[in-house]
Amino acid sequence: MFTGRLSDLIDDRPDEGIFRVSRAIFDDPGVFDLEMRRIFESGWVFLGIADQARDPHDFFTTDIGRVPVLVSRDGSGALGAFVNSCPHRGSRVAQTLAGNARLHVCPYHSWSFDSAGRNKSVKLKRAGCYAESFDAQSHDLPALPAFGEYRGFLFGSLDADVPPLETHLGEAAKLLDLVADQGPDGFELVPGAVTFTFQANWKLQLENCSDAYHFTSTHPSYIRILEQRQTANTGVAVKSVWESSDYWREDAQGVAGGSFSFPHGHVLNWGIFGVTEALPLFEQAEALAERHGAAKRDWMFNMRNLSIFPNLQIAENASSQLRVIRPLAPDLTEMRTWCIAPKGESAQARRQRIRQYEDFFNPSGMATPDDTVSYENCQRGFASRVEPWLQGYSRGTTASKAGGNPFSDLIDMKPARSVLADAQLGDETLFQSYYREWARRMAGVIGQ
Amino acid sequence: MTLSLKDAEAILYREAECLDESRWDDWLDLYAEDACFWIPAWKNETETTTDPDTELSLIYYKGRNNLADRVWRVRSGQSVASTPRIRAVHLITNVRLVRADEASAQVASNFAVNLFDKRSGRTHTFFGHYRHALRREGERWLIAGKTIVLLNDTIPTVLDFYCL
Repeated sequence: MFTGRLSDLIDDRPDEGIFRVSRAIFDDPGVFDLEMRRIFESGWVFLGIADQARDPHDFFTTDIGRVPVLVSRDGSGALGAFVNSCPHRGSRVAQTLAGNARLHVCPYHSWSFDSAGRNKSVKLKRAGCYAESFDAQSHDLPALPAFGEYRGFLFGSLDADVPPLETHLGEAAKLLDLVADQGPDGFELVPGAVTFTFQANWKLQLENCSDAYHFTSTHPSYIRILEQRQTANTGVAVKSVWESSDYWREDAQGVAGGSFSFPHGHVLNWGIFGVTEALPLFEQAEALAERHGAAKRDWMFNMRNLSIFPNLQIAENASSQLRVIRPLAPDLTEMRTWCIAPKGESAQARRQRIRQYEDFFNPSGMATPDDTVSYENCQRGFASRVEPWLQGYSRGTTASKAGGNPFSDLIDMKPARSVLADAQLGDETLFQSYYREWARRMAGVIGQ
Repeated sequence: MTLSLKDAEAILYREAECLDESRWDDWLDLYAEDACFWIPAWKNETETTTDPDTELSLIYYKGRNNLADRVWRVRSGQSVASTPRIRAVHLITNVRLVRADEASAQVASNFAVNLFDKRSGRTHTFFGHYRHALRREGERWLIAGKTIVLLNDTIPTVLDFYCL
């Protein structure tokens, strides 16, 4: 039980330029239970992409908070999402990560369901001496109270009382468009998923994706190795996007990128890479400009770290990663990660994308472990209440402006707030968007 | 002379010793310059990826220079995940000579690597299969390829090259 108040967790005084978050928000078990109920189990949560169930009767399984979920495409091609729990005694019905099944048979007592979740049989029904009232109940797999698709991105909610998905995504949907529109035939997950855990709170992952400030201090070994590969010129090194970018050079001048914040907790941190052959998308540069215009094409070549609150991140920087954040405990988080890519790119581009991905994004690579070990260091430090308030939400305070800027105008996107940054700013005001949404969702279960 | 099972075991044990004892240069020296080092990812519960050019791997390097990069990182002091290093002991069993002639050999084995990260207090065991491709260069047998099938691929925070 958390008995404190919201003002004990988030100190939000915009008029005074103060925004602080308490360490307790990351390690209090009562806060975690409320997050599960109010954020993960009663609001829009990312489930997966439509391409994971491409053909009729294809399915995949995932979770919303603590609840197992089945996403299935029925015989007519329509997608549905269900609680993956038998109405009979509660067993998980679908057992595998993905597959193709016209019929899902519960392994416990063999109740069966079609690919639209409809009950097809109750084993030995006639011999079961059921009361008439039993037939009045639905024996189907319960459909998620809310389920929606935006351009191949699937979201569900365990509570029907949510705004329409389009409202939840708002203007941030235009950043999903930048992913969806890279290939003429959409996008896919490269075969091979990587799952890892870290012993720290899920919100550290939420923050780190948006954290421009950490890159040069957390990842110098990665940066140096890329530099060494350039000068070694062995001919076998994979091209690096950082080679052509000033993004990480602390002595760079001028606008290097910035951040956008949206209602409902979605944020983007971005940087200018330019239309460079270091990106596998380069082979499509002209075709993309023809199809979408040069401005939108250039945005596809920008470094973009997108968070769709609370559990989806698409990071397009060293390569392209789709991440799903799954909190397991206040101090334990599971990450399921994939390389996301436009369908139909050349074999060479795909190879380049995969190699860049492995080096940077994998927990066996040269960057992500330095992030996750840092999260664990933070989690240890959060135990202190000597000074509970953290100071990591303040960079960019005087640079943050209401509305968009000329860069968001290029794709007709209207964020709630924006920051234009040089390479040194390392904006932190975008995190505030996470915590304002967090506070909005917690209001009612935590006193003001 | 054709590689014997005893020779094969000696190479595998020497590699394990180098990794456990942070003898990084000696470890690199076991590899051919064009060596391929591969840890496939898993596509589902039962199948690993099989084509590193179209599917994801945990690590896929062609060329010993890439392994040297990883050694550089561990030594650099510029990676918080790498310092202090995780203690490791490799246990290698069930060594089989799959194929051997005078120039090359294929060796299969099983591994369990026991890890202890003093900093976090985390103890973990990674286990799976190795497949070593060995090649004779002059008087020496070198590792021309190593494929590591990691069976427990939910990774607790860090998996560095020396953890497998």
